[in-house]
Amino acid sequence: MSHGQTTLRFRENSARAVRDDTLRAAMRHAADTFGAKRADAFAPVADVEGLRDRASAIRDEVLSNLPMYVERFAASATRAGATVHRAKDAAAAREIIGCILAERGAKRIVKGKSMVSEEVELNAHLEEAGMEVVETDLGEYIIQLEGEAPSHIIVPAIHKNRRQVGNLFAGHLGVPYTDDPQALTKIARIALREKFLAADAGISGANFAAADTGSLVLFTNEGNGRMVTTLPPLHVAILSIEKVIPSLADLPAFIRLLPRSATGQPITSYVSVITGTRKPGDATGATELHIVLLDNGRSGILGGESKDILKCIRCGACMNVCPVYRTVGGHSYGWTYPGPMGLILTTLLTGMAKSHPVLDASTLCGACEEVCPVRIPLVRLILQLRGRKVREGFPDSMERRGMALFGKAAASPFLFALGQRLAGIFWPVARVLGGKDVARRMPAPAKIPFRRKTP
Amino acid sequence: MSGADLPSLFLENAAKAAAGTHLLSGAGALREILARIVPPDAKVYCPGVTEIERAVAAFFPNRVADYAGATVTVEEVFGAVAETGSLVCASEGGRAVQAGLLPPHHVAIVRRGKIFVTLDSLFSAVAAAPPTNLTLVTGPSRTADIELTLAIGVHGPERLDIVVV
Repeated sequence: MSHGQTTLRFRENSARAVRDDTLRAAMRHAADTFGAKRADAFAPVADVEGLRDRASAIRDEVLSNLPMYVERFAASATRAGATVHRAKDAAAAREIIGCILAERGAKRIVKGKSMVSEEVELNAHLEEAGMEVVETDLGEYIIQLEGEAPSHIIVPAIHKNRRQVGNLFAGHLGVPYTDDPQALTKIARIALREKFLAADAGISGANFAAADTGSLVLFTNEGNGRMVTTLPPLHVAILSIEKVIPSLADLPAFIRLLPRSATGQPITSYVSVITGTRKPGDATGATELHIVLLDNGRSGILGGESKDILKCIRCGACMNVCPVYRTVGGHSYGWTYPGPMGLILTTLLTGMAKSHPVLDASTLCGACEEVCPVRIPLVRLILQLRGRKVREGFPDSMERRGMALFGKAAASPFLFALGQRLAGIFWPVARVLGGKDVARRMPAPAKIPFRRKTP
Repeated sequence: MSGADLPSLFLENAAKAAAGTHLLSGAGALREILARIVPPDAKVYCPGVTEIERAVAAFFPNRVADYAGATVTVEEVFGAVAETGSLVCASEGGRAVQAGLLPPHHVAIVRRGKIFVTLDSLFSAVAAAPPTNLTLVTGPSRTADIELTLAIGVHGPERLDIVVV
């Protein structure tokens, strides 16, 4: 379904989010849980820093030669029996996938979790073409029933509590109300099993794509990823070009880092490596595999100062530790990718004009950089984009006029002193008239200004 | 790592991921262990692709031909990884990869000679010619999508037993 980008309304979105106590409690719980589990998961690992260095070096190598590795992946996957498509942008990806499915008369589609498919708003396009698209990851299934977008890239329905899910299932699936997560999981298992067995096609994303073997790699816990990719006769995978790694032999470094960073698990329940289509002698596997490689602006990022954001392996660790994300939640960011990596990617992929307010969504505390498994310099990237925002003339006119006024006042000792005097007089008035927000944000001016205390 | 320690390390790590673990001492013990793990009224799918599978199939009179309707799948898997406690399930030899996925209970038999020490040793062994489908399976199917509360058995098995022979 199409949700439309609301990044320009970041301030309004977050003001609404901070008033939602259920959401704030859920976000805090998630951030604390993941933070603690992540630390526990890395504790027994020898040489974590060396592991991060290695993973970071592999990602750097890929980005230094991305077109070559993408070509190599496409050739290897084709040799293994897949059909590889290149999609320049979101519209092209939707068109390619829509055509593949329509040409084969596919009506019932099961889908694994894929942020890239959210990025290109694939479901809405396929539903308009008359197809039934069922999300099979439990979290995605919940928000699909509710008609919402994911609020976290790892746990998409993190903003919903068990009672909300219980009511949702009772309303949509005709089952008695329960708020027991294990019972709710069983209900989803039964409802979705039917969908799996009847599906004409499966759509998945991929966490990695190995250039040397043409393999797709998927990390899942529920098992839906395995079903989507092996039960239906037709499998369509959509992934963005930077997911390529040079070799299947590079995978262990990422198996050791990604689940630990994401959910604090030493490894996810399932790590699937899919290489091409069903071969002679194979009893199972899709007979047709289409791989759609999405660019959607990434080649442009590759040549610029923000290139390092393409190292991201989508673990979500930067979100869980971000004081802004923990407070305002994923929906406030207004597009597919929230949190520190998300605000950078959103600005780059959708353009400054559609996203610039979200660049404020960082305190530059650097907690994100500390946990990033592939050492993305997130703070530097945010600062560079803030610089670009000013150069491109995007601060709102209030901010710009305010800064211009301050510039004039600060240049004249007389005006500066006058400003200080006036601030002292009007501060109580502003606090009363401005309401709670201003009262909280606006510090009281000092009784005696610092300038007068110094000789 | 000595050959004797490897099965123990593998099973120790698999147990941490909530798998049931069983280390076989003698040749005759397999039947006993399976009788303990698999309920007598279970509808068992056993593919009969390998020698071990053909031998154990005879233990279960209540066999079904279609794994989609089975309550338990008993199969020998490609191998295992000690580092992570993972099974390595592969599509080689005409094996149905979903047989260990669809039924609620998966019993996997691993030969001790096929336990890889690390992920690196597994992937360097298979990288030259990977099977169409290779899956590392670590513990039962799980989710924490509702309030981050662990729930077992979402789409895959809710129970996983591993027997090293």
